Amino acid sequence: MAARKILLVDDSETVLQTEQMILEKSSYELIMARDGEEGVAKALEIKPDLILMDVVMPKMNGFEAVRHIRENEQTRAVPIVMVTSKAEAESMETGYESGCSDYIIKPIDGVELIVKVKSLLGE
Amino acid sequence: MTPLTKQNLNGDSATVHIIGDRSKYYLHPGQLFVSHESYAVTTILGSCVSVCLWDPFTKIGGINHFLLPMDVGDDQASLRFGNLAVRELIEEVLAVGGEQARLRAKLFGGACVLEAFRSRENHLGTKNVKIAREVLDAVDIPIIGEDVGGNRGRKLIFHTDDGSAWVKQL
Repeated sequence: MAARKILLVDDSETVLQTEQMILEKSSYELIMARDGEEGVAKALEIKPDLILMDVVMPKMNGFEAVRHIRENEQTRAVPIVMVTSKAEAESMETGYESGCSDYIIKPIDGVELIVKVKSLLGE
Repeated sequence: MTPLTKQNLNGDSATVHIIGDRSKYYLHPGQLFVSHESYAVTTILGSCVSVCLWDPFTKIGGINHFLLPMDVGDDQASLRFGNLAVRELIEEVLAVGGEQARLRAKLFGGACVLEAFRSRENHLGTKNVKIAREVLDAVDIPIIGEDVGGNRGRKLIFHTDDGSAWVKQL
């Protein structure tokens, strides 16, 4: 079976590396995007099994990117986990309204991320 | 008395806003909050679960917000795990004057947003709800209200002074 594809969208290299370190142990195929626009483009291109989406990013924020991804028939059902700072967490009402599936708070905890990812992938 | 707050292991200072007769507090995942004063505590839940406890005699209320059902038995144990977070909530309510025999619980969250997995009995939201029920049941605290499961996130507001809770589906 082909490896499940996870799209990591974040403008912070540190966060991308952290997510990569946690998830690569589980043999997922990881694809990176570094702003909201690139995140939407890659989501439409590769049709990932799951997306981890930052909130505050250049060009297009995470909520807007989720809305664009949800508008497309081919990516409408992809689980999207928002990765948010504690300060931004109060805006998660907007996150759910834009269509995200769940959220986690930075700094990212490895156990929490793995459990949520596996749960959303039905593993 | 100063309201008692307890935060996650990375805890930082709390921000409390006063609106109307109730102070306002935002509860983050992995935290719990207990007070005998009038607070409106808000939190946002997806697959996570919040247990609200209230003692109608002393009017002490408390709430947690946990993310995962069980601790993994290492040094990562924290209020992020339901088995610990519910026990800790009970202990904190008792510590500030609650009486276990009077405590009433309400249960919220545990959504599964994915249609494909909703019928499965072992998705994360279901497991979170189950562990909360088990811990409360083990100490005979009745659940007098709940809004759990489903396919949407929730915004929950809990009033510590009268035990009322308000849920908005997101």
